[in-house]
Amino acid sequence: MKHKIIWVLLLVIWSLSPLSWQLYTSFCTQEAITHPLTNPGPHWTLNNYRQVLTASPPLWDYLFNSLLLGLTTTLLTLVFAIPASYALSKLKPLLARTTKIILISAALFPYVLLFLALLEFARNFNLGNNLFALSIPYSALSMPLAILLITSAFKDLPKDLEEAARIEGLGIWQRLRWVLIPLIAPATASTSILIFLFSWNEYPIALTWISKPELLTLPVAIARIAGSSIYSVPYGAYAAATVLGSIPLLIMVLIFQKQIISGLTKGAVKG
Amino acid sequence: MIILFLLPAGILILLVFGVPLIRYSWLSMHAASVVTGLDNIPNGGANWIRLLNDMRFWKDAWQTVRFASFSVSLEVFLAILIALLLHQKWKGRGILRSISLLPWALPTTVMALGWRWIFNTPYGPIEKIINFMGLNPLNILSNPKLTWLSTVLGDVWKTTPFLALILLAGLQTIPDDLYEAFRLEGGKPFQAFLKISLPLLKPYLFLGVIFRLAQAFGVFDLIQVMTGGGPAGSTESLALYAYLNAMRFLDFGYSATIMLASFILLVCACALSWVLIYQSKNIYRVYNS
Repeated sequence: MKHKIIWVLLLVIWSLSPLSWQLYTSFCTQEAITHPLTNPGPHWTLNNYRQVLTASPPLWDYLFNSLLLGLTTTLLTLVFAIPASYALSKLKPLLARTTKIILISAALFPYVLLFLALLEFARNFNLGNNLFALSIPYSALSMPLAILLITSAFKDLPKDLEEAARIEGLGIWQRLRWVLIPLIAPATASTSILIFLFSWNEYPIALTWISKPELLTLPVAIARIAGSSIYSVPYGAYAAATVLGSIPLLIMVLIFQKQIISGLTKGAVKG
Repeated sequence: MIILFLLPAGILILLVFGVPLIRYSWLSMHAASVVTGLDNIPNGGANWIRLLNDMRFWKDAWQTVRFASFSVSLEVFLAILIALLLHQKWKGRGILRSISLLPWALPTTVMALGWRWIFNTPYGPIEKIINFMGLNPLNILSNPKLTWLSTVLGDVWKTTPFLALILLAGLQTIPDDLYEAFRLEGGKPFQAFLKISLPLLKPYLFLGVIFRLAQAFGVFDLIQVMTGGGPAGSTESLALYAYLNAMRFLDFGYSATIMLASFILLVCACALSWVLIYQSKNIYRVYNS
């Protein structure tokens, strides 16, 4: 490709400009936002951040809720997905293929269409307004992808290895615990990050399951700011909230870029 | 023994994916709304007849199809370019990958709010530029002809990285020798792309397109936060209509009917895109013989 640097710049501008505008707005005073050229007063302020962080409940609470939910979901999914993936990697080809096709269809399904039945579920079993309960549908929804990814990791392990461990007299649990699970750690890591991201970003189910303000997850809390009033939206606070809501993900993407990409691409190659 | 390992995960998946579809089929044959006091009374397919005559449903179906097809086609085009760029070997590739991945990682609602501010009239940057050029304001978020395009842009921005990475995975499976051989025989780079990359990318393209099509078809977060379905219902999607029926009009029977109908439409759309991607050559051949 010629003029590579131009293309790279275009990609960077395309990816970052919407966020940069939020960043810029978040430091502007209300007057600077509405009258950028004629405004006589100060242009820059930290008030927007102060407002978001001292609101009741403060933004930290939502970040914490999302973090807690993400961790519970990831853990729950792995506990179910690892044994299932191990079993799937041992199944006969025909059965394994059928299961795989079912899992792929489930992973492709636009899960938002499930919200009504899941809401009924929450009502019948009294699971609303409970972050731990919310991690049940979350982990079920991320299960198909998790199983597909971890199964392919189990399949990539050399066969002799488990055989040797078996001859050494290790039972199935011991083999899993001491030999196999440590070896699939990279795949588990990238799967975990994808599950965590899903849970962190999920909106429709959190919207319908949680109504208590102090239990809201970040996406729902931010959407509520938008819904609070259509005509006089506090743009500065708005932008500050989006910036603060983006920072954890910015950090995650920078640290786990390799794992995220390997998770996504493995899902494509092996699926 | 080994089947027992599959059981817990299998039950959970069945419970969350299978049971709702059965429940919807059942609910769609019942009147279940505030009118019936939230009791489920069989109404012999009245929901389905209502659906067939419901202009709002068909309008939303058309809008959803329009949204999905526009945003997925744009995404495919951009994702191919980005994948080719990310595939190049050079030093800053890791950072560039992180940067291009960021839009995908952010919560949809966060950026939906961001887009609302960017497309704001008169304070958003786009309107400011238009004002600066001395043109009339576009009123992007209150002009039904433009609002849906702005939602397409929001979706394309967020999901292109995902598709680009799928295609990048595909590009990485193509051995360099193939390009080398093609070059030695005097082929141009663009021809190499058409003759080598594109055919070999097909399975990845298919997987990515089907996934994106399914997700775009169920678009909810972006629309609900960015436009709320407005102006004048011009951006309302099927998922949002189903949501409104359940949560605002409290008509669960009809909401279930809409969701089931959306699912059926989606399966048709996926089958169609399979035909377009895999059978295009055969169709072409039939027409030219």
